[in-house]
Order: sequence, then structure tokens, then C-alpha cells
Amino acid sequence: MTTLPTDASLAAPAQAARPAKKKPRLIGTTSWYVVALFICAVMVVPLLWMITIGLKSRTAVFDIPPKLLPHEWTWSNFIEGPKAIHFPRLLLNSFVITGLSVIGGVMTAMMAGYALARLRFPGRKVWFYLFVGSMLLPGVVGLIPLFQLYKSIGWYDTWLPLIVPAFLGGNPLFIFLARQYFLAIPYSIDEAAKIDGAGHLRIFVSVMLPLTRPAWLTMAILAFQASWNDYLNPLVYLYSSGKWPLSVGMASFISPFAGKTPDWSYYMATNLLYMLPPLIIFFAAQRYFIQGLGALGSTTQK
Amino acid sequence: MSTASPVRARRSARGGMSRNAGSDVKAAYLFIAPAVIGFLVFVGYPLIRSFYLALTKYNGLTDPVFVGLGNFRRLFTTDPAFWPALRATGYLVLLYVPLSLFLGLALAMFCNQRFAGVRVVRTLAYLPVVLPAVATITLWKFILDPQVGLLNTILDRLGLPTSLWLQSPAMSMPSVVLVMLWGVGGTMIIFLAALQSVPNELYEAARVDGAGPWSVFFRITMPMISPIMLLQVILQTTAALQTFNQPKILTNGGPGFSTKVLMLSIYENGFPTLGRIPQLGYASAQVWVLFIIIIAVIALTAKFSSLWTYSDNTPD
Repeated sequence: MTTLPTDASLAAPAQAARPAKKKPRLIGTTSWYVVALFICAVMVVPLLWMITIGLKSRTAVFDIPPKLLPHEWTWSNFIEGPKAIHFPRLLLNSFVITGLSVIGGVMTAMMAGYALARLRFPGRKVWFYLFVGSMLLPGVVGLIPLFQLYKSIGWYDTWLPLIVPAFLGGNPLFIFLARQYFLAIPYSIDEAAKIDGAGHLRIFVSVMLPLTRPAWLTMAILAFQASWNDYLNPLVYLYSSGKWPLSVGMASFISPFAGKTPDWSYYMATNLLYMLPPLIIFFAAQRYFIQGLGALGSTTQK
Repeated sequence: MSTASPVRARRSARGGMSRNAGSDVKAAYLFIAPAVIGFLVFVGYPLIRSFYLALTKYNGLTDPVFVGLGNFRRLFTTDPAFWPALRATGYLVLLYVPLSLFLGLALAMFCNQRFAGVRVVRTLAYLPVVLPAVATITLWKFILDPQVGLLNTILDRLGLPTSLWLQSPAMSMPSVVLVMLWGVGGTMIIFLAALQSVPNELYEAARVDGAGPWSVFFRITMPMISPIMLLQVILQTTAALQTFNQPKILTNGGPGFSTKVLMLSIYENGFPTLGRIPQLGYASAQVWVLFIIIIAVIALTAKFSSLWTYSDNTPD
């Protein structure tokens, strides 16, 4: 984990006496903050601009030169925009698809990780290397055969191709992560549980899951984003617009149908609503998030 | 939460574990079964099937007809769209990967310093990564609009030259890459973790020896993070070779063939719109060309990695 000593207090006592700030003085403090501000601006200004467009009237969007702030604040875009693409329906679709993929992806990865890390069985190493190896396999290889497979068993234009793979170890990275976390738990714990007469399922559910909360929460967040943000798969598998998740619906919003120019102010207002769930999760779990990914970075290094 | 001691604890507990080895094996297979089934169905089967399909003529309705290497011959000799697709893909990779690695590392080094507000910079730099691709890409499509877009407005006010961006054949690919680079926070976060795991004593020692910032960077930082750099080169290149969302949403491959990358070409052959007949065998052949390129990149990167990565030779 990244619980590295970030300050001098954990280092040698002699060092603690030194001034805390000892960054290399490549450039002065002022230019330092200019760079920091520039980075923040590049990341934030596009988003702020999106919000202002979402608040502009439909015609003001095409003012030349564009004004940065809306002339009249058109809050109704947040009502009319979502109406234009049946937003509530797509939102519900997205929530169902994403919710089920999160549950499936995390559950199977935790189970496989548990087996790979803490149980001895023939083929353990082989399966581990196969799973890790499949991380490098490009997803595009499966695109056409799987499309045909789903079509032949009647799954085309249903949510099943977006959900079922998650329940079957859909993300090998999660299996790897789960295994790493399970390896770090002392073995005396399950020994003790076994002496108390607990079976593997009991140990897994009552002992391991509480202990590995950071692991599966991180996975759940990553799985949420992967599914919420996925565009190619729903685009390929879903034909009926009533079954689309938001990603496909939002993309269709601005494709110029019959020469009609897209309603950018409607679009941007709706786009903000589409971004909200991942944004909320990110800010709620932000510290945690960056830590979890940090752990990912340091485990892959080993 | 250190990982070293439990591993040792496991070794000592092994005797205890093997006592009920029988139930272990049964439980293990039950726990791992979903992932194993998934591997066979979603990795093993498609790999074999797509290789077979690449050697056939197949429209998804009638049975595949074996044509040997016919698809590949057609790709490399008669298809007017294939070489432009390879060129566009190569251009994207050569432009995106070095820039992403350089900016990602620079950003990580900046965010690895201690100054008030560094957490804010870190968080904001990572923010675009968590936003849905469709949402950010469409936003950028509007930002890059030549008339009413934000980018040209800013450039104009600063008295800098403006551009047609996505609508110009010369600038379309750089614009696509620009949009991709907005997500450089993903690269940054991995480099940041790598930088934070470099032992502080090395920097202390270097400072005592009076090393300057550049020699610290090239003699300590770079060697210590080189394994992560290697991983990043591989991951970023393979991801960039499979870029789909940005060209699909921003330009749909245009203008001309300028941003029609291989993935887009595969998509259009395999899942055509407007009543055209899918050419699944032909698209599978393209998939295999892409796949072989990806394998070659991984193999070459790994082969030459010993030249520039540092290893402390501990068998781990």
C-alpha cells in the first residue's frame, strides 16, 4: 500500500530537525504555482465550460465569438435535454447493467482470488498464469466470435452479453488484485476459524470478506466505472434504443440525424447528469481511490 | 499491511493446511469455477474461433467458406482502405504513446513534490480519467469546433493561430490525440505510485554526494522506475493500437481516411450500418493483423527492455 512515510517524522531522528520543505529548487515557488494552476485549469475549464453551455439558450451556443458566460441562464435545459433522449429510461438501464456487472465482477474475482491465494489444488499455478496472461490479450480478438456466439443463443439485443461475462471472472485484473490481497492476510486467522469448525464458505464470507474490504471496494469502484463508461460493447450488442445504456444514448444525441444540428445546450446539460454518478463516487472515495490504484502500481512492480 | 511476513507465515502453516487437503481441493474448484468457465468461454473459444474465421468468407448468415489466406491477400493488395488504416493507427501510436508517457511522468514528478495544494492538483489531474469516455469525448468535440469552440476562442484572444482541428485532414489525428491526452492522469497515477516507492535513502545519499537534479533523475529516478516504465510502454501501446471511442465519436474516421484507425475499420466491416452485409471473416483477418502487431510490440519491448530497465537481480 502507499502508506509510505510522506513526511520526515518517520525517517531518522537527525533528519526530523531539518526543515520540512526540501524540494529541489529547480524553479521558484511562484512559477511552481503557475504550473499547478495551469494543470488545474486544463482539467477544470472544459468541465466548467460544459456547465455554462448547459445553461445557455439553444441559440446562444452558436454566438460568434462565443461568450464564456450565458447571457440568460436557461435552467430548463436540465429538464428538456434529458426528455429529448428518454433519459430516465436510459439511466435505469445503465444502473441495472452496471449494478449487476459490479456484483458479478467483484464476487467471482474474490472467489477466484481466495482459491488461488489460500487453497492448494492441482493446477493452481497454471490457472494463475492463464488469468494473468489473459490481461495482455487484446479484447478485440473476442469481438466477432463472441458477437456470433451471443447471436446464435439469442442474446443479441439483450443485456446478457454485458452482464453474464462479469459473473464469469470478466476482469482478470480483479482476480490478480484479489489474490494479492488474500496473500497478505495472516494464515493463523483461517487456522483459528477452522479449529472453530468453519468451512471454506464460512471463512470466505465471515472472515475474509470483512478483512479484504479495501480490495473489493476498490474493485467495485473500478467495475462501476468500466461498465458505466463502456461504449463499444453496448453499441455492438444492443440494437433497440429502449435498451441502451446512457453511453450509447449520449453518443447518439449528437450524431447529426437528417442534417439536424445537435442541440448542444440540451446535450451538455444532460451530459452533466450522465457524469454525476461517477463524479460523486470519485469525490466520495477519492483518497481511497488514489490509494487503491497506488497499491495496484506497487503490486504490479513486484 | 506488509506483504512479506504473511508469505512466510503461509510457508510455516503449510503443514497445517495439507491436513485437510481433500476438502481444500473441492472447495478450490468450486471457488475458481466461474473464472475458469469464463476463461474458456470468453478467452479460449474466441481466440480459436476468430483465427478460424480469419481464414473464411463469412457474412454471419450462411456458413463460413474456407478461403485460406485470401482475406489477408485482399487486405494487403486490393483493399484501398487497409494501408491508410494501418498508417492512421501507427501515426496515433507514435504520437500518443511518447507524449502520454512524457506528460504522465512529468505530471507525476510534479505531483510528487510537497507543496500546499498538491492534493488538489493530483485529484484534478486524475478527474478526467473517471469521467465517462463518451461524455468527455463529446465535450471535446464541441471544444474543438472551429467556429464556436472554446479552444479557438482562447487561441484567438491570445492572438495565437487557430485551426480547423477535427475538420482538417492534417490536424484531425493530432486533435484526436489531444483529446486522449486529457486522460493522462491515468498514466500519472501509476508513475506517482512508482515514484513514491523509490527508497528515500537513495535521494539522501545523492544529496550528500552533491548530485544535481538532472543526475538524480537519470541515475536514480529513471532506473528505479524503469520496470513500471516498461509496463507502461506495453500497456499504453497495446491500448493505443485498439483506440476506438475517440475516432469513432470525434470524426468517425474522417476527414478522408485521416483518422480511420484499424479498430474503426474492423468495426465497419464486422458491424456495418445501413444494410451493408457484414464481412465477419474479413474483419477477423484484420483483427488478427492487429493482434499480431500487438504481440510483436510486446515481444520487442520485452526483448529490448534489458537494455534500459534496471533490475536488482533478486529472484522474486
